[in-house]
Amino acid sequence: METISFTSQLFQYLITGLTVGSVYAMVAVGFNIIYNVTEIINFAQGEFVMLGGLIMVFFHVGMALPLVLAFPATVILVTLVGILLDRLAISPIRQPSVLTLIIATIAASILIKGIAMFIWGKDPFDLPAFSGRNPITVMGAVIQPQYFWVIGFLIVVVIALSIFFDRTIIGKAMSACADNADAAKLVGINVKQMILLSFALSAAIGAVAGVTMTPISLMEYDRGAMLAVKGFGAAILGGLGSFPGAILGGLIMGAIESFGAGLVSSGYKDAFALIVLLAVLFFKPSGILGDIEISKIKRF
Amino acid sequence: MLKIEGISAAYHSIPVLKDVSIHVPKGKVVSIIGANGSGKSTLLKAISGLIKINQGRIQYQDQDITAIPAHRIVGLGISLVPEGRQLFAHLSVQDNIRLGAYHYFKKSNRAEIEQSVKQAYQIFPILEKRSKQIAGTLSGGEQQMLAIARALMGRPELLLLDEPSMGIAPLIVREIFNVIVNLNQAGTTILLVEQNAKAALKVAHHSYVLESGNIVLEGIAAELLHNPKVKEVYLGG
Ligand SMILES: Nc1ncnc2c1ncn2[C@@H]1O[C@H](COP(=O)(O)OP(=O)(O)OP(=O)(O)O)[C@@H](O)[C@H]1O
Ligand SMILES: [Mg+2]
Repeated sequence: METISFTSQLFQYLITGLTVGSVYAMVAVGFNIIYNVTEIINFAQGEFVMLGGLIMVFFHVGMALPLVLAFPATVILVTLVGILLDRLAISPIRQPSVLTLIIATIAASILIKGIAMFIWGKDPFDLPAFSGRNPITVMGAVIQPQYFWVIGFLIVVVIALSIFFDRTIIGKAMSACADNADAAKLVGINVKQMILLSFALSAAIGAVAGVTMTPISLMEYDRGAMLAVKGFGAAILGGLGSFPGAILGGLIMGAIESFGAGLVSSGYKDAFALIVLLAVLFFKPSGILGDIEISKIKRF
Repeated sequence: MLKIEGISAAYHSIPVLKDVSIHVPKGKVVSIIGANGSGKSTLLKAISGLIKINQGRIQYQDQDITAIPAHRIVGLGISLVPEGRQLFAHLSVQDNIRLGAYHYFKKSNRAEIEQSVKQAYQIFPILEKRSKQIAGTLSGGEQQMLAIARALMGRPELLLLDEPSMGIAPLIVREIFNVIVNLNQAGTTILLVEQNAKAALKVAHHSYVLESGNIVLEGIAAELLHNPKVKEVYLGG
């Protein structure tokens, strides 16, 4: 066995961290989309990722649909779950307070997890990597091609969302709801519709995260909660509500986890993320990009 | 044009409006004056559909709009410039103005919307200079102008204004009141809520006095200006 130099070892941790971090970033972006419109933390965000992975396995492996069909079909189905979540659990609540709505999302996440266990059982499922599993060696680090897919899709999501929020009137209307819901109604924006849209969008992004990560880390019914915690940590780290913050927070979270696991002990992998989360809440609850001055770039 | 018939409203079962009736004829400026907490803003919110009323009816151009939700009111031709401006603080001036046209925002209406934007900038030239600025960073006076411009983008036939003079220097207040008079002369009906009773009575044709949720006085604005009771309570003697 050839000895791997310390630098390539570090590089390996970095690449792994950025890949895992891309998944956290997508989860965090999903949190922010809903939070910005409703001030709700949607605790079912992780379930969207889990469903994305498992439904993709069903379409691609179970039904042998080609990737290019299975992927969009999965995203559409999970988006429908997001829409149902809003229609069945959020929108019917008569006198909504942020707390009751958050509790509703927790209940929904438990329910979704239960249904997933009923359908798929408790075993993890594998998904073929999009372009094979022959690793590429860069600077001595061994990189799975799937890593590029994960990071690539984060970039696609970011670009698509920035076009949506910057260039379209619906995107602007969603930002307007976030800023001032009553004023949004006064100009004719149907706020309930925008909330529905926010659930649909973040479900779709969750599905993308789930589909792209499953070939690397497998997927099982109860993965959602930990993903939600990490993604939430990333959103807090970057400053809740800030999209650039979510991406930065996710990547930092992934990197800390990867370096911590590699250099200290992989047994504490999940602990590192939680320690970071607690440290942020202690020392800078507004997050890295949560300052008032920077809130101008709150949305892409 | 607008007929409010005996409406009552409450927050958490504390009554705020009690059997209020108001009539706003087409083409006129009607003002409502009253002390802090008398229910003026609540009345405008009820008309715009932002709060529900317990009793009574709101009739607009032969249509009962009492139960119509807020986001569909603007499409009927009623725009509210809310108290405290309520801008989309993180969006640019330009985006705030464009969102004012949300209810008819379509590709096919593009030319019309651009025309309205131009008109809004003609009324408030300062906004054009600041079109890229984030709305939350405008001065108080500029924010009020933007709030009015945004409401005008909705193409209102009836414009509701909630204390447009609040916290604004006298010179700008005069400018804003000039705009109100001009809009009215161009055909927009106006319902104006003001604490600045003198200014409100000067521009209005007809006026109502609201006191803890009740209409206690109404009449031709120019006459109310000389009413001893109004003078004592609202015009500082
Ligand atoms: N959201 C609310 N919840 C509970 N009470 C409210 C709410 N909004 C207004 N009120 C109460 O209703 C009453 C009337 O308020 P409103 O804002 O209509 O008064 P106003 O005449 O506009 O006063 P001001 O001149 O200070 O703007 C006040 O006593 C106020 O405390
Ligand atoms: Mg008021």
